[in-house]
Amino acid sequence: MHLSDDDIVRSISAHSPEGIEALYDRYGGLAHTVALRILSDRGAAEDVVQESFLAVWRRGSTFQPGRGSLRSWICTIVRNRAIDRLRGDRHRTRLDSPIEGESIEPTVSDPWAAVAAELSAEEVRKALAELPAEQRQTIELAYYGGFSQSEIATKMEVPLGTVKGRVRIALDKLRASLADRMETSWPTQ
Amino acid sequence: MADPMSCEEATDLLALEAVGALEPADRELVERHLATCAPCTHAAAEYADLTSLLPAALDLVPPPARLRRQLMAQVYAEATAPSRPSWWRRLVAAIPAGRPFTAIGAVAVVAAIVVGIYAVAGRNAASTSVTYTVSGTTATGTLSVDTTARQAVLTVKGLSALPSSEVYEVWLIPPHGAPKGAAFLSPGLGGGPWTAVMGGSMAGYTSIAATVEPAGGSPTPSNTEVLSGQLTVS
Repeated sequence: MHLSDDDIVRSISAHSPEGIEALYDRYGGLAHTVALRILSDRGAAEDVVQESFLAVWRRGSTFQPGRGSLRSWICTIVRNRAIDRLRGDRHRTRLDSPIEGESIEPTVSDPWAAVAAELSAEEVRKALAELPAEQRQTIELAYYGGFSQSEIATKMEVPLGTVKGRVRIALDKLRASLADRMETSWPTQ
Repeated sequence: MADPMSCEEATDLLALEAVGALEPADRELVERHLATCAPCTHAAAEYADLTSLLPAALDLVPPPARLRRQLMAQVYAEATAPSRPSWWRRLVAAIPAGRPFTAIGAVAVVAAIVVGIYAVAGRNAASTSVTYTVSGTTATGTLSVDTTARQAVLTVKGLSALPSSEVYEVWLIPPHGAPKGAAFLSPGLGGGPWTAVMGGSMAGYTSIAATVEPAGGSPTPSNTEVLSGQLTVS
């Protein structure tokens, strides 16, 4: 039986093991890929993936549909844990962790699950390749390297405002480029 | 306190937040702004969803099958545990996630299992536990299924040690369909019995078997069966 992302969130909210199983089956590969890209260590990546899904299981779903898709929620959890591991700060509790918030019942479907499924790796690679090198590097330092705005500014020897501008312009370009490739407008919720 | 931030300023910071580069001090300002600004909350969701597509550019690296088994065994074990976990379950839970069978973990697991087996056996009188026999050319063992706790413990004697590149993988076999990899056998201390813990219901499976597989396990069993048994009451 195919479960929607909303079904999975409801199942996790009900503390059902089947909800975690469905979440893992849908996003476990993505989670592992993200963790491995950040950590470059299979054992550490597996630890992070297991810890992330166990954290969701133990704390229940705190997914907030108004703050992004289920895909981005689990991506953020895994990324944050992987970055913490990378920086040797495994026990720090992130204030921005999406699993710390209040639980809210899902009310909308995730348009991005369909977008992500439609986009091939090659299309996303091409969209990223179209970005100027310094914008692409800024995004990668932040997302996969875990560097903050000020750390990136120091590393790239540019003002703080430049980092801020590069990130926003890069994301806006990426959004437009991917929307073009999908031949659809930017999905709205 | 009044929100000092404009939507234009907030949008810059939302982009930083989406890629994880926002400074902690700025995060508080952003959260304060989002609390009262629906359009920026919507923009934050869009940025978050956009950055979640970044990994789509990577070649997908599926996790090993054993990771799913470890995760779900832990989840099912916790799902069926009483509100105050028994001491041996707490011991198992204390083993670092993802590394249940490291040297230290193995000691704790085996110690817990040995006690757990007696605990399960002791509950037979309450009809919550069923025991099955398994055997192979050199190996014999038992599978104790706690139907109340939806947990099973397999103990086996007579298995040879394996090189680090191989594992004994346990398979649950339904009457129709493919065998399901359920667990790995861990060696007992000092030549004691090999053990494996499985979570979830055993209903729907008619046989159990163990095979020699490469470290990390296999998607389907190879032709290296070392023991098997029927899931009928012995």
